[in-house]
Amino acid sequence: MADQANFEREALQYSRQLYSAAMRMARNPADAEDLVQETYLKAYRAYDTFEEGTNLKAWLYRILTNTYINKYRKESRRPSETDLGDVEDLYLYRRLGSEDTADVSRTTEDRVLDGLVESDIKAAVEELPENFRMPVLLADLEGFSYKEIAEILDIPIGTVMSRLHRGRKAMQKRLWEFASKRGLLPEDAERP
Amino acid sequence: MSHKCDCGDAEDQLYQYLDSELDEETAASVRSHLDDCGGCHDSFDFYRRLKVVVKNHLAEDMPESLEEKVKELIRHESATA
Repeated sequence: MADQANFEREALQYSRQLYSAAMRMARNPADAEDLVQETYLKAYRAYDTFEEGTNLKAWLYRILTNTYINKYRKESRRPSETDLGDVEDLYLYRRLGSEDTADVSRTTEDRVLDGLVESDIKAAVEELPENFRMPVLLADLEGFSYKEIAEILDIPIGTVMSRLHRGRKAMQKRLWEFASKRGLLPEDAERP
Repeated sequence: MSHKCDCGDAEDQLYQYLDSELDEETAASVRSHLDDCGGCHDSFDFYRRLKVVVKNHLAEDMPESLEEKVKELIRHESATA
């Protein structure tokens, strides 16, 4: 059994970050707490197999992700790529421009970036199908490298890149809808 | 944003650039393009700012009691193992 004090010292420093990620995965505090506790218990039991000097944070995220997938993913492995539809590149930015000039004013940018509230951003990410939500979370919340994300999710790096790309575009589409609903867009901004 | 120059490459690399995933040489060529192209410069800047907003809004305050619960769990596991 791993040394308890050593494990606590090394692993618990990531608990706040793990909780944030767990919240975005499980989408409610009770399940997020369970997820974090289960992750640490599994990590402690397996700590002897962790190679010291390698990436402990990524190792913990791998356990968190697998625990989430095994525990909360419902029957189907459904999250399908087609659900995302086809969204053009730079979706949000392109829609902030005026129809005539396509120029985006700094005022519009500021209004959108300041006006989107926390619940908009959270919803835009949480609504992504799981295959896309995980890479987006790991990159945008945690700042993991593509290589680390590939290891955490056990998928090829090219898949990480394409899912990140598509996930972020889908997120932009949702953010545009929220911005529109909140009246943050210029009046003549392009409609979808 | 008027695109008179060939900005396709830079756009393709936007997120890799913002994610610091480009090798130094490619990143330098993107930087040089951004110096010359106001449209790309502005769009990159927008996405850089959006990335910060997203990161800040996704973080969550952990309940104070959770860390203690985790410690208890580990101590219990350690004692019963």
